Amino acid sequence: MPAGLDQLKHIVVLMMENRSFDHMLGSLKAVDPRIDGISNQLSNPDTTGAQIKAQPLADFQGQLDPDPDHHFPAVDLQIFGGDTSAGRVANMQGFVKSYFNQRGDVGHSQKIMYYFPQAKLPVLTKLALEFAVFNRWFASIPGPTICNRAFAHYGTSFGRVDMNPFDVIEPIKSIYTRLINAKHTAKIYYYDTTSSTMEVVNLLQNQPQLFGTFKQFKGDCNKGLLPEYSFIEPNYNDHDTDSGEEVANDQHPDHDVQAGEALIAEVYMQIRKNPKLWPNTALLVLYDEHGGIYDHVVPPTCAPDKFSASANSTGTGMEFKFDRLGVRVPAILISPWIPPNTVVDRVFDHASIPATLTKFFQIGGAAQSPREINADVFIEPNAGTVDAKRNLLSLDTMRNDCPVFNL
Amino acid sequence: MDVIDVPRPSTKAINQDRAANALIMAQVSHLQRAERRLPLKYRTEIYTHAIQTEGEAAEYIREVTEAIHKAHADVTKRRSRRGLEIAAAAERPKRKSAVKRKRKSSKPTKSKKKK
Repeated sequence: MPAGLDQLKHIVVLMMENRSFDHMLGSLKAVDPRIDGISNQLSNPDTTGAQIKAQPLADFQGQLDPDPDHHFPAVDLQIFGGDTSAGRVANMQGFVKSYFNQRGDVGHSQKIMYYFPQAKLPVLTKLALEFAVFNRWFASIPGPTICNRAFAHYGTSFGRVDMNPFDVIEPIKSIYTRLINAKHTAKIYYYDTTSSTMEVVNLLQNQPQLFGTFKQFKGDCNKGLLPEYSFIEPNYNDHDTDSGEEVANDQHPDHDVQAGEALIAEVYMQIRKNPKLWPNTALLVLYDEHGGIYDHVVPPTCAPDKFSASANSTGTGMEFKFDRLGVRVPAILISPWIPPNTVVDRVFDHASIPATLTKFFQIGGAAQSPREINADVFIEPNAGTVDAKRNLLSLDTMRNDCPVFNL
Repeated sequence: MDVIDVPRPSTKAINQDRAANALIMAQVSHLQRAERRLPLKYRTEIYTHAIQTEGEAAEYIREVTEAIHKAHADVTKRRSRRGLEIAAAAERPKRKSAVKRKRKSSKPTKSKKKK
């Protein structure tokens, strides 16, 4: 058994909000051509027909207001460029047109093509270059937050492509219930009660004992009480606390991207500085969906789910069988057992999270959606023969050169 | 080993009067659905249709989240108190039945002797 897998006891997932791969990590193609980011040729037509190139002009806040539309019909336009014919082919040419629909301002609509230069995102880009960056991690659905996050918790959205509350359809259970039923430990850490969770209706309502705050996450790390699986939610809103104001750090437009950088660094350092956690913890940092922001990679098809969304509920006049993925998002796997500059080309989506946990912790037997069954795993199962080519925690000895963030 | 300074966001980044985005409004609506299932005494008096800003949404989100936790905690407390009462009640007759069982158990012994 490879040493990294053998020692692995904790998996931590931090899921941020609404930024595409090209927007956040596209600049890294210039540093490492294996990273499938922005090249000079990439553009989208605006509503006048002019080709608008992707440019490194993204700012931390103030550019993407109003919040770019990322509901199902808008994402359909972004991916297919407005083609609704039967034999249409995805071309990623509708992002500027889609953003124009919101304000009717040609100049402003072009900002959807902006991406961050590497220097502006020292945390995310450093982690991407130091550990494993995924070239093909896609949102689970070409749609908004709630249904995409559902895939991380349940391996399906039970047929939903929108923001409405969904009902859990048995026999599928959340990955937390499955882990706990199998005598493992799991927790969702929301930032605080004023930010709360996006998994309100099902988990918070029925199993509030699954939840802790970000402060408790830090305490659990320090006290050696970190569960085997932790899912961290960022702060979704600006609000007052007893000690002053708390800034939203989810990076959802138009929230400040630097606040999210600080959160990512804080989660990383909480594990990195603890010698009892760092060798045996893997941290996955990723985004729930692209938030309507430009990405150039066409989302692939996938095995359909057993649920489908009617033509009426998609808002496009077309039924959706959950047989293709959403737009690509940034995703980085962090562990001292991962070689620096690892670039992963296999296809993943958020159903890969419960799929990986199920296989790694060997909790088979519980019902899984077809999407989860067919999703690839980002950590190999800690049993049997491990395929060396697939194992990302592949080093024989732990690295001692991993970066440190000064918060 | 690289040490990287993490810049902090500008103090201007925070704005509780910013219009709540679609995600926050969806969260409010999900919590409202959860709140409707709470017993009356836990419910807030916030009129959710009037929520417009992040600060207003945040206040509602906090109140309902805390109420959900409190409602569950109260049930757990009641359950454990009831459990203690049941256990205590079960303790008392146990002694009596033990005595009865002892008496009863003497009968078959006698009958065995008869056989």
